[in-house]
Amino acid sequence: MTVANEVQKFDVVIIGGGPGGYAAALYGAAAGLNIALIERDKVGGTCLHRGCVPAKEFLETAHVRRTLEHSADFGISTTGVKVDFAVSQARKNEIVDRLYKGVSGLLKGRKVTIFAGTARLDANQIVTVLDGADAGVVAEGTNVIIAAGSIPRTLPGFEVDAKYVLTSDEFLDLDKLPATAAVIGGGAIGCEFASMLADMGTKVTILEGLPSILAGCDSEVATVVQRAFKKRGIEIQTGVKITGHTPGKKGTAVNMEGAEDVNVEMVVLSVGRSPRTQGLLGEGTGVEINDRGFVVADGYMRTSNPHVFAVGDVVAGTPQLAHVAFAEAVVTIKTIIGEAVVPVDYDRVPWAIYSNPEVAFCGLTEAAAKERGYEVVVKKDPFGGNSRAQIIGDTEGVVKIIAEKRADGSAGQILGVHMAGPWVTEQLGAGYFAVNWEATAEEAAALIQPHPSLSETFGETLLALAGRGIHVG
Amino acid sequence: MADVTLPSLGESVTEGIITQWFKKVGDAVARDEPLFEVSTDKVDSEMPSPAAGVLTQILAEEGDTVQTGARVAVIDESGVAAVANDSPAGGAATEAPSAAPTSPTASAPRAEVTVNTGATGVVVSPVVRRILMDGGVEASTVTGTGAGGAITRRDAERAVAQGPTEEVVLALSNGQRRMGQHMSVSVLSAPHGFAAVEVDARVLDDVDALGRETADGFAITDESVITIAAVRALAEFEFLNATFADDQLTLHRTISVGFTRHVDEDGMLVPVVHAAAGLTLRALARRTAELDDRLASRQLNADDLMGGTFTVASATTAHTLWTEPIIIQPEVAVLSIGAVRQVPVVVVRDGVAVVEVGRRVILGLSFDHRVCDIAAAAKYLERVGELLAGLDVASER
Repeated sequence: MTVANEVQKFDVVIIGGGPGGYAAALYGAAAGLNIALIERDKVGGTCLHRGCVPAKEFLETAHVRRTLEHSADFGISTTGVKVDFAVSQARKNEIVDRLYKGVSGLLKGRKVTIFAGTARLDANQIVTVLDGADAGVVAEGTNVIIAAGSIPRTLPGFEVDAKYVLTSDEFLDLDKLPATAAVIGGGAIGCEFASMLADMGTKVTILEGLPSILAGCDSEVATVVQRAFKKRGIEIQTGVKITGHTPGKKGTAVNMEGAEDVNVEMVVLSVGRSPRTQGLLGEGTGVEINDRGFVVADGYMRTSNPHVFAVGDVVAGTPQLAHVAFAEAVVTIKTIIGEAVVPVDYDRVPWAIYSNPEVAFCGLTEAAAKERGYEVVVKKDPFGGNSRAQIIGDTEGVVKIIAEKRADGSAGQILGVHMAGPWVTEQLGAGYFAVNWEATAEEAAALIQPHPSLSETFGETLLALAGRGIHVG
Repeated sequence: MADVTLPSLGESVTEGIITQWFKKVGDAVARDEPLFEVSTDKVDSEMPSPAAGVLTQILAEEGDTVQTGARVAVIDESGVAAVANDSPAGGAATEAPSAAPTSPTASAPRAEVTVNTGATGVVVSPVVRRILMDGGVEASTVTGTGAGGAITRRDAERAVAQGPTEEVVLALSNGQRRMGQHMSVSVLSAPHGFAAVEVDARVLDDVDALGRETADGFAITDESVITIAAVRALAEFEFLNATFADDQLTLHRTISVGFTRHVDEDGMLVPVVHAAAGLTLRALARRTAELDDRLASRQLNADDLMGGTFTVASATTAHTLWTEPIIIQPEVAVLSIGAVRQVPVVVVRDGVAVVEVGRRVILGLSFDHRVCDIAAAAKYLERVGELLAGLDVASER
């Protein structure tokens, strides 16, 4: 359908088909815009193919195994539980493939023009497809959205070889899990991998340069995870300075300054993600990139070129979360078509970490609230007393709510909700509303949680925060 | 492909402002379905689609001033919901030469993205909404400090602490603004006089007895019955069917009657029945019904609102005695018709004065005192009353 070098015109040209890009395409097409989307690999992006979705399938495999291990507690005996990780890998691929077909079908249904290849943006919103099946295509957009995404960062001294050293990209393609592994980087991705590996029987060591794992989380929530990890035999070394690794016959040794080597079969790097902006911009685009390679954009996702927008992982200073990219895509399209829109409030987006125990939070941590000058009232309720948690046999965890302290000392507006424990990623919704709707403790506490349910712990914490708890002081 | 052009909006009107598109590119549209709204200094009108198909291009953005005859959109009549690949902006630049819109056209997505910051009235939280409601504060009066001008809980609490909203500043609609301008000019330029006369309206008993519909099925209103009498009386009071401008009174041979009409939240319009002198009640009823239909469907054009030589302002409630309307410039008089009421009247039967149930209506005339005076106005109104009493409804309906 394409003629070389003939410029094809669109209302919007989107570079990248991950969550930010495909959401912008679908939402924009629904608004009647004529849209081209350029994707170098497969629509769905990192999230669907090499990130959130496959990782969660593996974590669910770990969950099933854990459930089987504890089945005797319910009087159900299982003997000879065997793990064939290749089956889980194949199942993951099937799920990913189904979702991929779903997204592709939606895009086709909305008449989004998809070009296969890597894109370069030049001046005047001209986008050229440099390689791939549609190499040579030149598309001009009245507006352009950069949704180029990110790639795993690596560390100096760690060449990714898919054998000893893996990033999330390679890790999620494994058919067989190692007996021992070092996870470098104890953030969200690192903790999910460590948790999954440990549940599947791998001896895991987390190596973290900062003083604690899950540095962005509230410290008490991080402590719950740390304690649970240690109980399951995960070794955690924080404040380490990693210098490199020395491959041997049956694995490799991670070298650190002032500490003993850690000998493992495999090293998994989870040290953050870099923006995929190398070679993205030609001359004269007017799009500002910061010193770390991220695209600079304002709350309406506008770059320094008024016709170029950016969404997703590529945007400077914003959380690299698929659901944030979705929200940014909506903001962008509404801005383009001139509808009233409220920018994403990055301080209050939902976060979810699917480790065991899970972590979910929204709003300010206790430390961040104090740093911003708030006087706070804090209440916590552990899941230990929750009936449903006891029934499902998973009582490890806590709900912690931070509210602004009023002049009379009572709890005012809820600033942050932090959870660790069973299914908290599914429970965060109520906390998310409370924080974003700027409810006070009483306002939120007046609403009822079903009994028996895990969400009662959130409700109890609110009651306590409002001054008087039923079960909790 | 069918071009959508800006149709003539009236003889003296050469351009209009596109105020709203009801369809977006890619939408299916039926023939005569409202496609866009255009605003002139007379009226806001909805423009029907000239063809059925899919709207493939919009060439004039909302806010653009467009010459009549200019292409504003393209409809693909083949009915395939495919969206044109070429940018609308490019198409307009090359294909709409002399009749091009006066401001550069833009494609559906706006070229320059403007965003409100520090906006007022943006409420994103139901909690904030309730704080404002409980405190009696109108959201539109609160400036939000949150992202995108959203009113935060703190903003709301501060506003409530300052007390409930005493005043709300409302922007006038286009129609209200046009009405205000016209009325200000009229009051300032013409010294208004007013006279009112109560006249017998028993003829409406005949109308009720015969039925409130014309032979061809149009509603017969009190307004049209009385207007017939008022129009015929004008033949004897030529100076009232006139225009006054530049110190010069111009008498008009044709009588074109405007009718004041209230438009919800958009001021008042005065659609005109042109050349009304020779009309029967039946014809007048039909002509006013047609105007009212066009008014209701926002299809009035500038011609419908121009060329009046005399105006009728009817009571809109059952108990209105009279109104003192402001003259529609450059006319010289406007007739006020009160509500037609059943009232006790004194009649003499066999030399004895008795009270009976009668029907009366108060007619008033606002007039330009440079052209007319109270005596002449009252005389005219009495004459309208006589003609009304003698109206042969049976033959005219």
